[in-house]
Amino acid sequence: MLQFIANGVVVGAVVAVTAVGLTLVYSILKLTNFAHGDMVTFGAYVALLLNLSLGLDIWWTLPPAFLAGALLGVLGDRLIWSRMRRRQAGSVSFIVASIGLALALRNLIVFFFGAQTQHFRLPVEMRQPLGPLPVKLTPDEVHVIVAAVVLFAGVHALLRYTTIGRAMRAMADNPSLSWVSGVDVDRVITWTWILGGGLAAVGGVLYGMIRPIDPNMGWFLLLPMFAAIILGGIGNAYGAAVGGVLIGIIQEASVMFLPAEYRLAVGFLAMIAVLLTYPRGLFGERSLT
Amino acid sequence: MSMLLGYFAGFLTNVVIYTLFVIGLNLQFGYTGLINFGHVAFLAVGAYTVAILVTHHAPILLAVLAGMAVAALFSFLLGYPALRLRDDYLAIVTIGFAEVLRIWLNNVSFTNGPEGIGGFAVPLSWLPVSHDAWRWLFLLLCAAVTAVVFAAVEYLARSPWGRVLKAIREDEDVAVALGKNIVSYKLAALALGAAIAGLAGGLTAFFYQYINPHNFEATITFEAWTIMVLGGVGKNWGAVLGAVIYFGLYTITSEFTSSPIGPFSTDQLAALRIVLIGVVLILLMIYRPQGILGRKEDLGLDR
Repeated sequence: MLQFIANGVVVGAVVAVTAVGLTLVYSILKLTNFAHGDMVTFGAYVALLLNLSLGLDIWWTLPPAFLAGALLGVLGDRLIWSRMRRRQAGSVSFIVASIGLALALRNLIVFFFGAQTQHFRLPVEMRQPLGPLPVKLTPDEVHVIVAAVVLFAGVHALLRYTTIGRAMRAMADNPSLSWVSGVDVDRVITWTWILGGGLAAVGGVLYGMIRPIDPNMGWFLLLPMFAAIILGGIGNAYGAAVGGVLIGIIQEASVMFLPAEYRLAVGFLAMIAVLLTYPRGLFGERSLT
Repeated sequence: MSMLLGYFAGFLTNVVIYTLFVIGLNLQFGYTGLINFGHVAFLAVGAYTVAILVTHHAPILLAVLAGMAVAALFSFLLGYPALRLRDDYLAIVTIGFAEVLRIWLNNVSFTNGPEGIGGFAVPLSWLPVSHDAWRWLFLLLCAAVTAVVFAAVEYLARSPWGRVLKAIREDEDVAVALGKNIVSYKLAALALGAAIAGLAGGLTAFFYQYINPHNFEATITFEAWTIMVLGGVGKNWGAVLGAVIYFGLYTITSEFTSSPIGPFSTDQLAALRIVLIGVVLILLMIYRPQGILGRKEDLGLDR
């Protein structure tokens, strides 16, 4: 039991890091980004490239992965989303375009890296369970949890104490009011993508440390991510983090009762249950219906 | 020559079955504004129902009707909770539903799991004709079925019932103010679209004569969306046009990608082809979200 909770916390930490970006983009840009999962995959492959070809230690791949993810996010906005905003496209068009982007990204990865599963080159001792603990955890897994906590502290500080963070929260609450109050909307949008894309990519690297890397990894993470942000209350970065950990625990704990293949289904059913019984989620303010 | 003709029959059958599948989607999204991203689930339910029943020697017509009914039943299961939610949640819930269904089909024994089901009887097999001739006859059968559904949906769309659907798409509050029970109309549109997808699923099972969960991945839904938004949202002729263009391009590009080009393997070229679908979707959404035949006003949600 304790073991499943521990596994759940590790997976949940990854879901939390990636889901924060998804919820920020959703609340600030009003975009349900189905390509977010593939931005996670992208991050993992950037790290894989640096790790295998340059022999870079996996921890040193995190900053370049963040930068690459941020760049991808900003580029996507310049090429696609800003054009659609200018043409006042509807929410459905945004969703369909994000699916198009998801297909394109995933298959570009297949094109360049192949569809087979791959692994980071990690020191062997990182995969050995740690000594006297009540649960089996490898140093890698502990590092993933620590990294997630550090990243989240950074997000918290940025949103809470910086001007741009305040502007982002204002945009999420009331876009037109913040625009009249002199918030630089374009700057907020750029920063949202830097943060959202960067965190997605870094989350992908962390995910690649606890499971094999393949072009579908992020797509399959998308449902748990959506489950996490709905559970936590959509638009709420803190809720997304808590929701992520909870979904991770629920999924891993389900292995006790169901075949492991159903993990994804369990996360999804948890999401439906939340939508039906408490659609605002744990920390949400807005009504969903 | 005969091989080429047989190939052409296969191409046309694909076009016709996908047209049928997209007519169902168009009824849900084009007419009613429901964002169903799990349409492949109903195709799968129809195909599996038919395959399992026919394997147990049920009459083919009965099996196909059962497939449509079971697909509609599944859409009730999904729609009853999900249709109360806002648009983008419906998208998430339907996509999840289709993925969960596929995992389930892959893990239960009565579907044979990943091994799939094959070797069941197919329609028109009692005719004393060659396999190639059978393919053409089966194409005619599919075309007839699709034509009937096409006409029925066109008729429904012009009926008072269809006009309420469009009113819901345009402005739900107005439909409510007129005393219409929106959820029941939406549920009916979802179920009807699902039954049409179930019918397409039954035909798919007969066309392939073998099915497994791999045939029903989320990509199929996105292909249907591509065909719909390419041809024109809210137009049944758009489904036909979209399917012809899509499979035309698909077939031409698969001619190019059937053997390695330069340093690129066939797998890489196949991936590039899906990249192309993605790029087409993005460009359409930026520059012409209503599709070729669609009218801007028919994109109720896109004003």
